[in-house]
Amino acid sequence: MYRRLLININQVRNRLIHTHNTRLTLPSTKCKERESFAPVTWAPCTARPLGTSSISFSENKESSTSLSEDKGKTPEETEVNAEVNTDGQRNTEMNEGTEISNATLTSQLETEPVVKPEDRKQVETTKSGKESLLELLGAMKVEVTTVRKIRPSKTPRMSERPDQEPMESTHSMFQRAAAEGSQQHGTLNPALVAAVSAAASTLPNRHQAESELLKQLRKHEAIPDTQRRADIGHIISDMKVGKRPNGRSNVRPTSQIRFDDDGKGYTQDRGITSELDGVRRRKSPFTSKRLNLFAAAAEQDALSDLGPTLWDIDLVNQIVQATNQMPRNGFEEMIQWTKEGRLWQYPINNEAGLEEEASVPFHEHVFLEKHLDESFPQQGPVRHFMELVITGLAKNHHLTVQQKKEHIDWFRDYFRQKEDVLKEAEAYLN
Amino acid sequence: MASSCSQALRHHVCKSIFFLLLLLILFIFSEEIVIPKKKTWSKEAVLQALASTVKRDPTASDYRFQDDPYLTPKTSSEFKLFSLSQESGRNAAKYFINTYPKYFQKDYAQPHIPCLMPDTLEAQIEEVSEAALIERIGMRKVKAAVDLYDQLLQAGTSVSLDVTNQLLDLICFYGDHDPAQENVPEQRNEETEDVQDEPQAKKGRAAKASDLLKATWKEKNNAERIFALLSEPNKHSYSALIRGMVKYGAYSKAFSTYTDLLNSRLKADMHMFNALITAAPEVKEKYNEKWELIVDLLKQMAEQKVRPNLLTLNAVLKALRRCGTVGKSQAFPVISEMKALSIDLSLASYTHLLAIFYKPGAPIQGQTDILQEVMNEVSGKSFTPQDPDDAQFFITAMRICLDTKDMEQAYRVHELLGVGENWRLLGNDFQQNIYYARFFSLLCMMENIDVMLKWYRDLVPSVYYPSSNVMRDLLQALDTDNRLDLIPQIWKDIKQLGHANRQNLVEELLTLMAREKHNQEVQESFAECALDIKKIYDTGDRGKVLLNWTAGSLSDLISVLLAAHRRQDAWDMLKLFKTHNRVPSEELLNKFLMCVKEGGEVNQAVELVQISAGFCLPGTPKLIQRVQQEFELTEQKMLSDLEIQSFNSE
Repeated sequence: MYRRLLININQVRNRLIHTHNTRLTLPSTKCKERESFAPVTWAPCTARPLGTSSISFSENKESSTSLSEDKGKTPEETEVNAEVNTDGQRNTEMNEGTEISNATLTSQLETEPVVKPEDRKQVETTKSGKESLLELLGAMKVEVTTVRKIRPSKTPRMSERPDQEPMESTHSMFQRAAAEGSQQHGTLNPALVAAVSAAASTLPNRHQAESELLKQLRKHEAIPDTQRRADIGHIISDMKVGKRPNGRSNVRPTSQIRFDDDGKGYTQDRGITSELDGVRRRKSPFTSKRLNLFAAAAEQDALSDLGPTLWDIDLVNQIVQATNQMPRNGFEEMIQWTKEGRLWQYPINNEAGLEEEASVPFHEHVFLEKHLDESFPQQGPVRHFMELVITGLAKNHHLTVQQKKEHIDWFRDYFRQKEDVLKEAEAYLN
Repeated sequence: MASSCSQALRHHVCKSIFFLLLLLILFIFSEEIVIPKKKTWSKEAVLQALASTVKRDPTASDYRFQDDPYLTPKTSSEFKLFSLSQESGRNAAKYFINTYPKYFQKDYAQPHIPCLMPDTLEAQIEEVSEAALIERIGMRKVKAAVDLYDQLLQAGTSVSLDVTNQLLDLICFYGDHDPAQENVPEQRNEETEDVQDEPQAKKGRAAKASDLLKATWKEKNNAERIFALLSEPNKHSYSALIRGMVKYGAYSKAFSTYTDLLNSRLKADMHMFNALITAAPEVKEKYNEKWELIVDLLKQMAEQKVRPNLLTLNAVLKALRRCGTVGKSQAFPVISEMKALSIDLSLASYTHLLAIFYKPGAPIQGQTDILQEVMNEVSGKSFTPQDPDDAQFFITAMRICLDTKDMEQAYRVHELLGVGENWRLLGNDFQQNIYYARFFSLLCMMENIDVMLKWYRDLVPSVYYPSSNVMRDLLQALDTDNRLDLIPQIWKDIKQLGHANRQNLVEELLTLMAREKHNQEVQESFAECALDIKKIYDTGDRGKVLLNWTAGSLSDLISVLLAAHRRQDAWDMLKLFKTHNRVPSEELLNKFLMCVKEGGEVNQAVELVQISAGFCLPGTPKLIQRVQQEFELTEQKMLSDLEIQSFNSE
């Protein structure tokens, strides 16, 4: 904040140096009237100047006069105006910490060497100084009367636009507008007049300067007054939304004007019911009284079902249809595949899908001699052959134990069928 | 060397033995070591943990399109087209597998994967038996099952009550019609029509909706006939009948069946009550009568010791939506009742609650608190889908936010969407689009431009393809916040989103660009953008003219070009007035003359006057005057030309 303040002061100082020739222009943003579309919640953007202008202005003047009194004879009118200007900018930014910033201001101004040379050329400087003063005043008023847009203070572009201000409620805005409307009817703020005379007292021909200053002020005062009326018209025509977007207070001020923006007419203020609302709101409606139809501990009927019925399946199906089942990334797709059984399960397990084999111990697979007992010959080529078969089967991991048994049984049948042939060839011993 | 080596070895061995002993002693004297039990992980646990680490990439399109970058959708119509074609490709494959199962019998997979094998659609058991009936019920062949049941009865074999009840379930569920088989070629035409009407709806849904419209409960249908044949119908039989009647719109019949049930001294079950509560608002006229009927049903539930479940609660709340003011007063007591019975609310309950308090189209009168209360209840919770209406919550809540212009609640709703698995409850693509459209319009309306653009970059086009209306909202938001310099960027997006052929959108864009003076850089980019727009006007799509020049759009475009000092381009544009039979405004010609004067092109000025005279504009004499004053017309002939022109025009 202070850094920006200092930057502002520097800017003003630089401008003062060049103010003899160039017309001083303060940054001002335009605001266009929007007929069709008014999306801002409050319409404070168009209304803000009349809310703050004169008040902050008078404050500025007061502070500036006090400053000039503090500093006695030394300050030139240009400096005073510089303060006014910087103060004005500061006030539009922030309305607190005035003492500290004033202190920094004075220190800044006291150490300011640039304006010193002007002291010596008295005649010339008074002329030019007065001009610059008028110009500054004019520029300042212009800035005050121009209408600026408002956006919430949390915007990151804050640095680009130093002339921002937190929103204020329409309520206070209207109050102030009303107050000013009565106050500023042709007359100037006394504080303003005092400030002008104080500023003019530092000039050689003070009466002329003072009257000129006041004239200038009146001229500018008259313009915003008319503009203000127009502004109020615009406010009312443009203001649409009647709801506080954030910081919903518990009770709305009853005097607050609320507008509805859907063209459905004004929403009625709740009046007395708002108090009732306040009572109701203290406890959540979710904790309201119950119907008291069911006993809390009603025991469940025993489910007489034979599993899910068609209706249950359909309910599940409906829920699945209604919800979004599309995977959002590869892992979710893999989850889906896992559920469908298309993917190898995690954590990785070599025996996945071999559940019926899990109960079969290892030796059943490997030691298959016991199946070669009585029905096969104890020795000879058949026996030899069958031993080779079971060795092969013992090493085969593709077959279940049952399949291995079936394999052996097949050979048993085969050799039994061929028993005659084998006996003839003397190969079947036993 | 060797001795030292062996010594070192011995030393080492001694040391390790000592260490082991020490460990053993420690082990003996320390307390008992508890070996943790083996934890069995669910098969998806690893994948779920991995999936939770993946965040949404706002620059990427939907996951289903990521396989093929060429088919990344850029507009909403492309999105619809691509996602539907993907889906229908899957369906076509499934159709062929199921129609010709004999070609798909080879089972490569080990372990076996059932879902990759063809479904059996033809009944396997041919003879007339109860097993065949069960098989047909399992295959949901309503007609075949009813025929078989009749055959069984004619043959004199009795069918068990359980199987008959299953048959009743089947008939009542499908309203005595055969279910519409998915992926049947005959249905395709109908389905594509549905798809055109409501493109994002899933096929099953569309088919079901049309079924519901077509099918009504007919007098003396098979369900009633079979039910009448039962000597001793039990609770299940009644339940099937009542649910079927309610599903197919025979509400008063359902209530009379319920009276029959009570007369035969049976107890009702929960599903029956749920169905009856759903039917309650249909049979009564007045709001309080409806509510009294519901309360009566609930009392009977309590009497018969039937425990309500979440679906009962949701049915009551859904019925209360049609009870007007009674609904508002009774909704919260109902919810408290259910909470007292320790039933957790699902999002559908909140949806109904919101719908009770916020009628669409009705004026909002201080009801904003209800949404806030609901959001207080649900914030930060992760919901699992339990009711088909759960998927309505987010779009309902966002609609209310939009109606009440409540940005704060909208953010809360959107935050809730990000919790846990809640994103599944946003529903299908169609609903997602509605939700994001509402959210984004609200942002355009309420938020300042920077926040809004942040959301814009985040949502568009990875999850949301804005419609042209929403893009207009966006333009208006830019206008309100004085960020018209972003228009060229937005124009690029508009082009990519396929809205470049929307006449009113393009014209609005041109008006916004032409309305004010900006700095030189911005004007340059505007001019580029304007020339780009001109291309759209010129080219058209396959010989079809997409946009028609209007006087407004032409003059806006020319003013943009003039502001960027592109006199030559503007001059070319000016000729288009003639070719398209549009009349330029005097203001534009004056502006043009100013620009010509800056360039000091006398000939062009004269030509401009001629153009003006050609359109018989009333301002032509003034223009001539200006030209004569401001330009040094060297050739007398030109002057005389002008005179003649002006004479003609007068």
